[in-house]
Amino acid sequence: MVQRLSADVVVIGGGSTGVGVVRDAAMRGYRAVLVERDDLACGTTGRFHGLLHSGGRYVVSDPQSATECAEENAILRRIQPGAIEDTGGFFVTLPGDDPAFADEFLAGAARTGVPAQEIGVAEALRREPRVNPGIQRAVEVHDGSVDGWALVWGAARSAQEYGAQILTYHRVTEIVRDGDHVAAVRCRDVRHGEDVEIACNFVLNCAGPWAGQVSAMAGCEPVAVVAGRGIMIAMNHRIVNTVVNRLVYPTDGDILVPAHTVSIIGTTDVKVNDPDDTRVPAEEVQQMLDAGEHMIPGFRTHRMLRAWAGSRPLIKDPRVSADDTRHMSRGMSIVDHSQHDGLRGLLTIGGGKLTTYRLMAEHIVDAMCEQLGDERPCRTADEAVPEPHARLHKVTDRLKAREESRTDTRALCECELVSEDDFRREIEAHPEASLDDVRRQLRIGMGPCQGGFCSLRAAGVACASGKVDAEKGTKLLTDFIASRWKGVQPILAGDQVRQAALDEWISQGTLDVEHVPASTQGGVR
Amino acid sequence: MRTVVIGAGLAGLTASIRLLEAGVDVTLVSKGPGGLALSQGSIDVLGYRPSRVTRPLEVLGALPGDHPYAVLGTATVRESVSWLGQRLGLVGSPATNLQLPTAAGAIRPTALAWASLAAGDVRDHTTFAVIGVQQVKDFPAALIAGNLDRTVFDGRELRAGFGLVDFEARDGEQDPSPVHFARALDDAATRRRFASAVAAAAGTADVVLVPGIVGLDDPGAWDDFVAALGRPAAEVAMQPPSIPGLRMFQRLLDDARALGLRHVQGSLATGFTHEDGRITGIEVASAGHSKHIRCDAVVHAPGGFESGGLGVDSHGVITERLFGLPLTVDSLAGLTEPEVGAPQPLFEVGVLVDADMRPLGLDGPVHTNLHVAGGILAGAQRAREKSGDGIAVASAWRAAESILGGAR
Repeated sequence: MVQRLSADVVVIGGGSTGVGVVRDAAMRGYRAVLVERDDLACGTTGRFHGLLHSGGRYVVSDPQSATECAEENAILRRIQPGAIEDTGGFFVTLPGDDPAFADEFLAGAARTGVPAQEIGVAEALRREPRVNPGIQRAVEVHDGSVDGWALVWGAARSAQEYGAQILTYHRVTEIVRDGDHVAAVRCRDVRHGEDVEIACNFVLNCAGPWAGQVSAMAGCEPVAVVAGRGIMIAMNHRIVNTVVNRLVYPTDGDILVPAHTVSIIGTTDVKVNDPDDTRVPAEEVQQMLDAGEHMIPGFRTHRMLRAWAGSRPLIKDPRVSADDTRHMSRGMSIVDHSQHDGLRGLLTIGGGKLTTYRLMAEHIVDAMCEQLGDERPCRTADEAVPEPHARLHKVTDRLKAREESRTDTRALCECELVSEDDFRREIEAHPEASLDDVRRQLRIGMGPCQGGFCSLRAAGVACASGKVDAEKGTKLLTDFIASRWKGVQPILAGDQVRQAALDEWISQGTLDVEHVPASTQGGVR
Repeated sequence: MRTVVIGAGLAGLTASIRLLEAGVDVTLVSKGPGGLALSQGSIDVLGYRPSRVTRPLEVLGALPGDHPYAVLGTATVRESVSWLGQRLGLVGSPATNLQLPTAAGAIRPTALAWASLAAGDVRDHTTFAVIGVQQVKDFPAALIAGNLDRTVFDGRELRAGFGLVDFEARDGEQDPSPVHFARALDDAATRRRFASAVAAAAGTADVVLVPGIVGLDDPGAWDDFVAALGRPAAEVAMQPPSIPGLRMFQRLLDDARALGLRHVQGSLATGFTHEDGRITGIEVASAGHSKHIRCDAVVHAPGGFESGGLGVDSHGVITERLFGLPLTVDSLAGLTEPEVGAPQPLFEVGVLVDADMRPLGLDGPVHTNLHVAGGILAGAQRAREKSGDGIAVASAWRAAESILGGAR
């Protein structure tokens, strides 16, 4: 039995690009459906360091990206403030780095319109006392930190208000052609084991590093994606409250981002063939720790909480030709499959960065409008997305809320101050959600104990809600334990080893979850 | 003879009491409140190997040679665990496992337990009423009952339902710590009020299961609660801080103090002095200065990775924190798996010992009067196989015996 839907445009991929695209298309009046094989923002978008670029990073290496970042940074602060913390950023010349690069940097910033101002070393160290006291120069920029999940879900809700449909856990199996034109997208609803066919005029392939696999489903020569894997490590606490960048030509391990209650160091760049290859090799962890130690003396003695890897969505495809450049920025590329594969109604977009996700969406939807002969201007920069609090997020927001309700509500996740009530509302609204899905909404299990204490509570509240039976509740529990371990296992050192031993003791020693009657369903992905 | 015991967990307290009973002077040095807050209030000997064990003493002899039990021997385990059970008044014996429900609804094998926990043994009951308390978040009654209800134990289909009571142990407090809740139930009037609330929610099952929080300091709390409830009931141990475990800690510490224990609390042992292969004293960090405690023998029972007795640095080097003892493996590489399903070899890393529990180097014991006990010993997957308590008690017992008898 195949469920049939129809739309003007099907957007493939639920990362920041796809969600930006579906919002843009819906705001321009298209009937739009987004399909995503997992939850939203599970791929590259959920696996980055959380930096809202000021543009500073690109003022020398990539001036056009620098300007775009600066402009989009200002737009996102306006339209999605609740996903952003205004941390500000420093570029610092570390001992051994060339202090003259700062001059090149400042000149580049002036040329590209990226706000940047040199400040005294003493002033920089006063504001960030943990930074290497041997820094030679410091430049202040408008970096921020951004919660990729909050950003994407905000845009998704906005899209839904404009009538878009967001189908998560729908894996594309085929892009159906009718002669030389796209006719439909077939998907598998992986949660319910059903097939869905969405008839459409247009398909926008926003699958990021998976774009090659998606283009092949339309019978096209696969788009050549170069997946560059980078690792990130979340360090316990805010080692810095300002984004700290190394003032050098962009390289590995050159940024430390304060995000929520942690600091995230990134990143490496290793070419991989499979975008699902998100291993965190031990040598890359050591590389990050060395880089961190250089930036923050004593970094190695800090507690690591977790590591993860994401794939950059770079496209190096000969079909990205001169004809496409008006729709292209440096770092973003659009492949028009009508020109290269004789298939009309399919565009692929690659490259880009989270900070410019809205602009990428504007470009590709512009390209679609042009092919359809529609005059429908982009409005995504003009209208804020619906958010509970229309102001920039602060790291203290949760603590403040918890302080106010401390005696009346229970903390389900003490590390991240998630209340039982918030969790219950989330699971009742999304009874099919995994705890990892809920984590991306509420941050359960993201603190020092990595789910050691809250996993059982969460599974328990889900069962008590009546929406989840004990078998499913147990699967929620065991899947979450497994997915949390994945991020802890590569960085076992110091206090996180103690934590891992304690968590093992709780789940196996005390609760004996290994011997709860087995689930009939499969394990974690 | 002066001895120093390091660590206030089950091993450290067992060693202390054994030495004190023999009239030996004991100074117990502990950094924190010991590991018993992580205990279930039961004494595991061996629960899985890897299938469920019903008679642990019968299978200890078949464990691999590098397992602590292989070094300790079945007789020592039987004798030491039985001794502890009698001293504490626990139910059960090392010969046969109880089968107790956990706070996730699994059936967990353990050898001895407080009577309040042992009363939930699924060998004795078929129907269960699991009564949760809204304010006790670590006891998910619906999940526990649901899992018990789909359990077939020994060919018997268990049946379980759940209920929920709203009970503020302290007025207006919705998120109490288990310790506060348990202390509130040390008060007889509060306890009876709690019993009536539970009774009203409990239905008609064979046994009522409640969170393991019925009193902390009052040893009569449980019997009084059951009398007020008027029907069979049992406690279920929860994730830390575990009240049944804290009861055990308090009892053992009180016993040791009554025997003359000197307890240096909140103090980290930071170093040692030695001469001619013998430890002569332990350096202890205390407020403002370092203290040197002279001794003739040491029982080092600091726990394993969970306590920091064993550690891994950011380069992946594994060390024993205080004495720098030789370990079975000293590099993290290859000791963990990305999949959570299998036992992680890391947790088996530890110290190898001779029959007197003396850490072994290449040329025999590292120090002739240094003995180790508990979680620091190599070779056991304690969390998976449920063996940590028995190893702790038997190794502490053996260490004390060696000190008293003179090392062999």
